[in-house]
Amino acid sequence: MKKLITLIVNKKAFEVAVEPNRTLAQVLREDLGFLGTKVGCGIGDCGACTVVVDGRPVNSCLVLAVQANGSEITTIEGISEGAELHPVQEAFVEYGAIQCGFCTSGMILSAKTLLDRNSNPSEPEIRAALSGNLCRCTGYQKIVEAVHAAAGMMKK
Amino acid sequence: MHLLPKFDYYEPRDIGEACKLLSQLKGSARIIAGGTDLLVNMKKGLSAPGSLVGIGKIPGISEIEPVNGGISIGAHLIIQKLVEFDLIRKKLSILSRAASVLGSPLVRNRATIGGNIVNARPAADLPPPLIAMGARVRLKSRRQEREVPLDRFFRGPGETAIKPGEVLTHIVIDALPPFTGGDYVKLMHRRSLEIAIVAVASRITLDGPDGVIRDARIILSSVAPKATHAVRAEKALIGERPSERLFEHAGQIAATECTPIDDVRGGAGYRCSMVGVLTKRTLSGALREAKGQ
Repeated sequence: MKKLITLIVNKKAFEVAVEPNRTLAQVLREDLGFLGTKVGCGIGDCGACTVVVDGRPVNSCLVLAVQANGSEITTIEGISEGAELHPVQEAFVEYGAIQCGFCTSGMILSAKTLLDRNSNPSEPEIRAALSGNLCRCTGYQKIVEAVHAAAGMMKK
Repeated sequence: MHLLPKFDYYEPRDIGEACKLLSQLKGSARIIAGGTDLLVNMKKGLSAPGSLVGIGKIPGISEIEPVNGGISIGAHLIIQKLVEFDLIRKKLSILSRAASVLGSPLVRNRATIGGNIVNARPAADLPPPLIAMGARVRLKSRRQEREVPLDRFFRGPGETAIKPGEVLTHIVIDALPPFTGGDYVKLMHRRSLEIAIVAVASRITLDGPDGVIRDARIILSSVAPKATHAVRAEKALIGERPSERLFEHAGQIAATECTPIDDVRGGAGYRCSMVGVLTKRTLSGALREAKGQ
């Protein structure tokens, strides 16, 4: 039986009726159209589906949409200000930290959450914070450099 | 793409309602907390419960509280909070260390301490340090509430003392005696999203800052159907003055007290050898902490 839930996505409330067996990733993509959230492995290994739920990045493929009822969710669509990219997004573009792009939404959301808590992370801290997000183009070096640069940009 | 099978979903407002639901739904219901194990198993077709009972909205089971010098931890507390909370970092550093190597950051933000316990996987990260520190689990059902030492909770892979209709609500750790220290080391092929090849949790209590060993626990993980004590190695430590040589000796004994299997993560012989190494290493770490260094 469908349940009526409210998801606050990127500061906007959405009321949606969902079957209990649908994941947050599915509802974000298929019902609400936030296609920036990617689904890779579907079992919590790759981190492509990372979204921020109540301030913490999680694998949205392993969260039931009904469990997220009432939660505040940030997807990749929610971090830019209009046409202005978030510093982490800007740095990813500038440093060539995007190849195929499939891991990028998750990488950026994990990185942004790290920088919100720690404005000056060390390289091991950056690598640890991104260790749940896999990049199969193996562009890790550039991703780490981009996060480091974004930290500098955000301090200005 | 992995899709979830159909199920009914319930969201009780308190533990009483959760217990009632579990007993009404009999064996067909499973509790869902973080879901990082259960949903994976359901997606892979390994588990197909008719109903899920979400406990995320139940108040009072997601907190860490000091109790009579000890600590009570709600079963629904996410793993990452064990890493972050000062009380755990200072009083139970062995637990925050184990929590910090569980899964990935994304998993730690979702998975719960209760889930890591009730799933009873032989390589689970939190049971070894919790057993070493003498933790008990509080189980509630419609009729009664009981506490079971974690030492007697696990029966085998996926098998625990929990009865149908019971809910794990809290993990309780009594005040530790002075001059107590612990350490946990997990041997991994990589640093994240990894299941232990071998892991060892050790705990030592000294008579005094330079005293003899009064209490010792060595918990071996990932080398038997469940986390187990290296009983003879523990005995060899009691009443002795701590030294590198003594810890080396305890490690040698511990290496003979495990029954690992050969699998993709490591061979049985290698695992036994590593039990010896990690036992010595964790005892040294536990000693440093016991001495307040």
